[in-house]
Amino acid sequence: MTAVAPLVLVVDDEPSVRKSLTRLLGSAGYPVEAFASAREFLAREPHPGPCCLVLDVRMPGLTGIQLQELLAATGRRMSIVFVSGHADVRTSVKAMKAGAVDLLTKPVDAHDLIAAIQRAVTKDERDRATEARRAEIQWRVRLLTPRETEVFALVVTGMLNKQIAVALGIGEKTVKVHRARVMEKMRAGSVAELVRLADEAGVTVPTT
Amino acid sequence: MGRRDRPRRATGRPTKRVLATRLRFETLLAELSAGLIHVSAPDTGVAIERALRQVVTFLGVDRGGLDEHAEGRPRLHLSWARPGLEEPPPVTAADQFPWVSRRLREGEVVRFSRLAELPEAAAIDRASFERVGAGSQVLIPLRTGGPILGVLSFVAVRAGHAWPDDLVARLRLLSEAFAGVLDRRRMELSLAERLRFEQLLSSLATAFSHLSAADFDPAVQHGLRQVVDFLGIDRGSLIEFTRDGTAARSWAVEEWMEVGEFPWMTARLQRGEVINVSQLEELPDEAAVDRQSYLLHRVKPQVAVPLLVSGIVVGGLVFSTVGAERARSDELIQQLHLLGEVFANGLARKQGELEAQRLRQDLTHIGRVSALGELTASLTHELSQPLTAILSNAQTAQRLVAADIVDLESVREILSDIVADDKRAAAVINGLRALIKKGEPEFMPLDLNVIVGEVTWLLRSDTITRHVSMSLELAPDLPRVHGDRVQLQQVVLNLVLNGFEAMREPHAGARTLVIRTARDGAATLRTVQDSGPGIAEKDLGRIFEPLYTTKTEGLGMGLAIVRTIVHAHGGAVGVENNPQGGASLHVTLPVAPEGAQ
Repeated sequence: MTAVAPLVLVVDDEPSVRKSLTRLLGSAGYPVEAFASAREFLAREPHPGPCCLVLDVRMPGLTGIQLQELLAATGRRMSIVFVSGHADVRTSVKAMKAGAVDLLTKPVDAHDLIAAIQRAVTKDERDRATEARRAEIQWRVRLLTPRETEVFALVVTGMLNKQIAVALGIGEKTVKVHRARVMEKMRAGSVAELVRLADEAGVTVPTT
Repeated sequence: MGRRDRPRRATGRPTKRVLATRLRFETLLAELSAGLIHVSAPDTGVAIERALRQVVTFLGVDRGGLDEHAEGRPRLHLSWARPGLEEPPPVTAADQFPWVSRRLREGEVVRFSRLAELPEAAAIDRASFERVGAGSQVLIPLRTGGPILGVLSFVAVRAGHAWPDDLVARLRLLSEAFAGVLDRRRMELSLAERLRFEQLLSSLATAFSHLSAADFDPAVQHGLRQVVDFLGIDRGSLIEFTRDGTAARSWAVEEWMEVGEFPWMTARLQRGEVINVSQLEELPDEAAVDRQSYLLHRVKPQVAVPLLVSGIVVGGLVFSTVGAERARSDELIQQLHLLGEVFANGLARKQGELEAQRLRQDLTHIGRVSALGELTASLTHELSQPLTAILSNAQTAQRLVAADIVDLESVREILSDIVADDKRAAAVINGLRALIKKGEPEFMPLDLNVIVGEVTWLLRSDTITRHVSMSLELAPDLPRVHGDRVQLQQVVLNLVLNGFEAMREPHAGARTLVIRTARDGAATLRTVQDSGPGIAEKDLGRIFEPLYTTKTEGLGMGLAIVRTIVHAHGGAVGVENNPQGGASLHVTLPVAPEGAQ
């Protein structure tokens, strides 16, 4: 748990639903921001801290599902709890496949909603931690020289120094020096750790 | 020869006088006969009386009379007598003149110079003649080949007046002229009566043919009254049988008798039989209950005809008299059959209309329920919104209470929101209930704009799932229409759903349904689809027909129901394709009367 309470963002076209959910979540200790439409929500700056989205499936203009797709397409990851007045199976499956935490049918029980929000917030925090770590690793990768990057990419594929020297057309000793630099810059104690970091950072083998 | 000629010559002057007298008589008879030929029915009485006076005066007797014999018709009883003579009873009164009237009916002339000439068999007649003071009399039957039409009589109060053969022969000639007058008069009267009857029939038929079920009762009452007056009967009633054969309803002129009081008659009517009972004694043993009822109501037995429609007995027409019994002629039965047909058609029409009305109600009900199926999704959504708010608010309040954070102001706000949302949910349910409600239409002045508002409010979330938009262009000065709220909601609902469906096919461009009201004499409602395929030329005339649909899914009832309802409101429906694409459907409803506004 973080020190700051996670923010809950509510998007629902129905004023009375927005108001009552805001009130309920407020009473549960969550700061809440409510939006009347997907567009209104999109106009807001992405929240830097932990948060989750409580999203109505059926709205005029952009529907909840369409908003989910749009967020995914623009790389804005969000933990989403859907609420729906009339959820059909197809919509539910689509929403869950696209990564929604839960889909609750209206009228939503407070206990279920808060539990879902907690799960969503936990997921958000975990996702945020993963993202932070990836950003950190990618920052480390950016410290590598182009030659070190090449060596890094080949080391993690399991190649030996001799093989790398052949592949890059350089001396085996030079490979050794680059490799030591990579291990240092990436703060890896072993090849196994380096492989895991590469995996987390999404480093791909450059085509030779 | 010579011997026979001589006395005539010897009595030349008297013979001449006799001849002259006879000539004058012949002339008179010829004149009378000629004059009577052209007498029309209304003048008959005057003409006959004048003729009688001339003959009586000429013959030097005391009275001449003409009695008409007629069954069930006003009969003529005419006479001319010297002043001071008592009016005799008609010789046709069979109880006073049995022998005479029998002879006359057989076509024979009865004459006597003195009462003593009458045979023993005519003792009753003789006594009657003595009472009225007819010492000498000649009675001649009037006939034109058929049954006796009447009796011509000449009376001398003093006995001994002779009625020689040649006089009687001439009077018989005169009687033919009188008989001709009576015959013509009878034909004219019967023609006039037949004409009156035809008029009665046609007026009844007209009254029943333009009859709505609601006006049936007073129309039947009026019709029965006309028939009763025409036939000169005291009571008339119409019985309606239901399909299972029980007497369902009845209408009557004057006092009504329960159908149940006449089981025998009812059973016979239901078998399609005519009942013609003129005397209580004619009733068979099994009609004991009926007989009791007749006695109880002091009603003379009656004549009844079954009413048939397509060979099925739908009712009966029953007539009875309170006063004197009358023989019912075949002609009367014939007339009753004709009248029966008119009443039967009236009944059939009423039943048909009620049936159609019931079908129409069922149909609109089915239409509404099936339209509701399509609406379920949006209604669920509509209801889930306030319920969500209510639950959230209530649970928030619970949490506040459980956490001992009792902020009265917050709780008050929460409660007032709960109440408001609950009312909203109730409004949705009421709207739904009004749509499902099946019942008698209630006509009242209605604002079409309000109805459009009610229906589109229910449909607003439907527009989301269907990816259509709806825009309202409502005329501010729309006159009120005379209609049933639920039925008109149905019209708007079906028109809008039809518009949505029409724009369902995948196509580019916005899908907007414009709902427009306007006043142009009447109140019109128009739904305009700005896109969609429109309607093929060949289908334009058919889209309002039942079970006609160009859609893959759909019963084809929506627009048929619209048309049925609108027609029942006295309105019209129409459709046309828009030049820029899509189609427009419109409904015109008559404006409510000024007073009802």
